[in-house]
Amino acid sequence: MAEEQKQNTAVANGDQGKTDEEQAKELLSSHVVRAVGLTKVYEMGGEKVHALRGVDLTVDRGEYVSIMGPSGSGKSTLFNMIGGLDKPDTGEVFIDEVDIASLDTFELAWLRCHKIGYIFQTFNLIPVASALENVMMPMLFAGMSQADAQDKAADILRKVGLEKRLLNKPNELSGGQQQRVACARALANDPAIILADEPTGNLDLKTGEEIIRILGELKSEFGVTVISATHDHKMLAASDRVIVLTDGQITKIKKRSELKIQEGTIEGGQDLFD
Amino acid sequence: MATQRQNHTSLVDRSGQVRRQRQLTGKQVLLMAWKNITVRMGRSMLVTSGIVLALAFLTYIMSSDAILRSVLENAPPSVKETLSESGKFAVLEDADAQIQTRWMVGLALLVSFVGILNAMLLSVTERYAEIGTMKCLGALDSLIVRLFLLESFFQGIAGTTVGILIGLLLAFTESLFGFGWTVAEGVPLMGLVPWNGIFSIIGIAMLAGVALTVAGALYPGWRAAKMKPVEAMRAQV
Repeated sequence: MAEEQKQNTAVANGDQGKTDEEQAKELLSSHVVRAVGLTKVYEMGGEKVHALRGVDLTVDRGEYVSIMGPSGSGKSTLFNMIGGLDKPDTGEVFIDEVDIASLDTFELAWLRCHKIGYIFQTFNLIPVASALENVMMPMLFAGMSQADAQDKAADILRKVGLEKRLLNKPNELSGGQQQRVACARALANDPAIILADEPTGNLDLKTGEEIIRILGELKSEFGVTVISATHDHKMLAASDRVIVLTDGQITKIKKRSELKIQEGTIEGGQDLFD
Repeated sequence: MATQRQNHTSLVDRSGQVRRQRQLTGKQVLLMAWKNITVRMGRSMLVTSGIVLALAFLTYIMSSDAILRSVLENAPPSVKETLSESGKFAVLEDADAQIQTRWMVGLALLVSFVGILNAMLLSVTERYAEIGTMKCLGALDSLIVRLFLLESFFQGIAGTTVGILIGLLLAFTESLFGFGWTVAEGVPLMGLVPWNGIFSIIGIAMLAGVALTVAGALYPGWRAAKMKPVEAMRAQV
């Protein structure tokens, strides 16, 4: 049993014993996510809705990418494809240069558990579980022991400023606090990628900014790749790159340097949609 | 926040194999399932009380019928006559009444069947969004099914045991009121109770209760586990 737990913990902690060769190999492919020719058609009330009409996208390691666009532009669909939560009709998504359509359920579960941390607009916390238990959950799925998971979860919650809220249930927390729990949960197994679908969509201005700040910190401190679907202009300031999606197609890609940023706000963010 | 950069684990391991999520050990799943029940105690009790009621009804109908039958068959002839005259066996002697009893047993089975299935279906379907979230966090389909199997098994055992006890208590109390501790001089009621029959009723009820509970949870749980995470999260029940 002890042996087993040790093994599981090793898995949960990722491989420490990476050789130089491997690291070099990893650095060679700087893309962590690569999407090629994604299309998706939904059937809604007998009518076909083209959610995505051929989207190509590459995201570098440690990049902060915002996918912008009005609602119905296919943002969430693209988000779900990248996260392996939904499958495209045609096209491929590569993560670490592996086509995720080729993954079986065990491999896909590993990807969702260790590689990607998800943050949703609606927080999606488990209502009956405390903040601590919510953050522990992905660690337990990864096979970590209760005691280890508890320590690590408390540690992450401290980092997002919720050290006094460990035992509160989601309904005892404000929206901003709930989203911070969700951020902590997304970080549970030290993912390389954080996928955030409208993370500030249900929050007021101030708490939204707080979440954006946390995401920015994750990027710079941990080298986490952040991919965020949003129509919140505040998010642009933190982004390295903004991709504008209109009607299922990428219509504009702007680098941070091309955005006029003044004191943390975006001038002319509106003209992205022109 | 810590300042050092972390080495993120690659999707592919050293030998070029894509990494796979491991099955958790039985003990780990057991702990999780137990936690799931206790953390939503109120709801668990409500579901379990449905099982209790159904099983109490079923056990009561079956065992009170069995006791009555046994008393009629095994009581000394002299006693039988007096009892017959008092009309206590009318239920068994009257053809119509006998059919009625059969109907009652059938009905009891049906009520337990529908009641338990309904309770379990509801308690699982209201957790679809949670199942979707769990899948996003890396839960294997099999883990979700195992969790529901264990949770419903615990609830089934608890609910069925309590239900059977209540059912037996009712049946015995009724017989005591009907016949008294001694049916006739030197013939104690407990001597006429068909213990073997009662034990097999307990066995049948136990099996039916637990099987129905597990089946009622497993089917929707399995369906939810098979769903794409986004679909499960969006599912409105």
